[in-house]
Amino acid sequence: MEELLKIEQLQVAFSTEEGPVEALDGVELTILQGTFHGLIGETGCGKSVTGQAILGLLDNNALIKGGRILYRDQDLLRLSPRKIERTIRGKEIAMIFQDPGSSLNPLFTIKNQIEEAIRLHRKAPAEKREEMVLQALKQVKLPDAENLMYRYPHQLSGGMKQRVMIAMMLACNPKLLIADEPTTALDVSIQAQFIKVLKELKEKLSLTVLYITHDLAVISELCDYVSVMYAGRIAENLSMRDLFKDPRHPYTIKLVNSVLGATTTLDQLEEIPGSVPRLINPPGGCRFHPRCEEAIPVCSQEAPPLREIKANHSVACHRR
Amino acid sequence: MKKGRYVLKRLVRTIPIVIGVTLVTFLILHLTPGDPVRIMLGPYATPENIAILRAQYGLDQPLPVQYLTWLGNIARGDFGTSIRYNRPVTELISDRIGITVLLTLSGLFISVTLGSILGILAALKQNSWLDYLCTFQAMFWISIPGFWLAIIFLYIFGLQLRWVPIAGLTGFVSLILPALTIGLQEEAWFARPMRAEMLGVLNEGYIKAARAKGVRYFQVVVKHALRNVMVPMITMLALRLPWVIAGSVVVEVVFAWGGMGSLLVNSVLARDYPVVQGVLLIIALSVVAANLFADLVYSLVDPRIRVEGGKK
Repeated sequence: MEELLKIEQLQVAFSTEEGPVEALDGVELTILQGTFHGLIGETGCGKSVTGQAILGLLDNNALIKGGRILYRDQDLLRLSPRKIERTIRGKEIAMIFQDPGSSLNPLFTIKNQIEEAIRLHRKAPAEKREEMVLQALKQVKLPDAENLMYRYPHQLSGGMKQRVMIAMMLACNPKLLIADEPTTALDVSIQAQFIKVLKELKEKLSLTVLYITHDLAVISELCDYVSVMYAGRIAENLSMRDLFKDPRHPYTIKLVNSVLGATTTLDQLEEIPGSVPRLINPPGGCRFHPRCEEAIPVCSQEAPPLREIKANHSVACHRR
Repeated sequence: MKKGRYVLKRLVRTIPIVIGVTLVTFLILHLTPGDPVRIMLGPYATPENIAILRAQYGLDQPLPVQYLTWLGNIARGDFGTSIRYNRPVTELISDRIGITVLLTLSGLFISVTLGSILGILAALKQNSWLDYLCTFQAMFWISIPGFWLAIIFLYIFGLQLRWVPIAGLTGFVSLILPALTIGLQEEAWFARPMRAEMLGVLNEGYIKAARAKGVRYFQVVVKHALRNVMVPMITMLALRLPWVIAGSVVVEVVFAWGGMGSLLVNSVLARDYPVVQGVLLIIALSVVAANLFADLVYSLVDPRIRVEGGKK
């Protein structure tokens, strides 16, 4: 399969009042065309920063210190803000965000906001656009789309808003969709509905999606490949199959074992000791070593590089 | 339908406010010391003459009766007769109101446009020298008393440079200094909130979402952000209107325009009740009207406010 997006050694720091925060320290991952790629990790590990860095949507206090983000062989980090705005955002790569409540402009109708996307990226005569808006809404299984499109965001539920977001971003016709924790703010029952819609879209449109979440259950439902992130670094890149059958990194193993499945009981559930390090002053060496049961002296001195152990499976650990 | 009911409800709610305004206007004057008749007739007037004149203007009646008579007359469009000028108050006001409205509106226009532009620029370039410059100039103008700024402007541009006439309303050029005096004084009241609101809105999720969908940044600011700061800015507009009117009353006196400002000042000094009451009432009503207007415009800008119109 063709590589659609390849992130190499991405380093991003934020300047804060307490000092610089090394949010990303050498992130590496490859997204293959037509696949759902999960990016999983605990809150604050840099998942969202990775997503926003791709689209050049990082906050003003962010500084990209190094690396490359190759999209179809062009380095997005080398494009001017203007060029990214005109040639990449929406047209090639679009993004949906965690909080559907604030992601739609409260002052414009659903139709207006989806139409804006169509106007920007697809050549269509004005009278055809309404039809396209309807189509977009129906695609994400929104009922009563004919009336719904004249509504304002505050008249919709959270789940509906998130589906409108997807409809709006897909209306841009992007090649890659970044979904940044799209279900985190939704009720569990609504989550299931949302994931069903995504699954159907995956089969119908052969979408490529970077799916950012901390929810392993969601990833296992949707994704083909997974990148496990820990404290600003990639711990392991692997296929979904390997995630459950052959996880190598101690953190990945702990992560998989900490999920409550249908057959596990609470007693069998493992917890990961310790807590996520603060990135203002991260531990030296492998950032996971203070919480790792298998740590050896070298772990606290040297950061392990990401090594390929087989096709589509690489791990950053001294013990593997 | 819903919209109509909302407007109606809002209109009905202004009635007690208007009545309150008339009561306060009336009481403020009649409870302050000073007698218009004594001022008019001078220190050597006989008690009989004073009594006759007081009866003529109805000033010998008990206050509640005077108030109700005044209110009844106003309802018929009769604001009474000026004690000092001996002319109908409506005539005195209609002769001068155009000048005051012109000054108020042009001052407001300058303050809103200048303030909004500076506020937006400051927000877009947060913490840059431009941002600091905007803050500095806003604080500079707002710290200077209006009448003093007017005099300084007159001295520099009128007396020294002779770019503009120093007194009276004689065409567009003579409008510049008075309007600028008010505009600069009031501009901070729009620049500061605009900056703060803009910074808040630019951090909203829908701004990032609009950018993620490929909307040009200029469009994002103009369409997605600006419309979202309209509601607080319209509030500010309605809140500042009384101050702009107050400012133009003072500034107009300095520039000798002969509008409602000088009429008001002279009438207060002469305790010319009917005129003062009339002018104050007109100003108060225009403020009430501005607030009503703001409330109605909110619902045009923000669909979430329409819901208040009534039950579903």
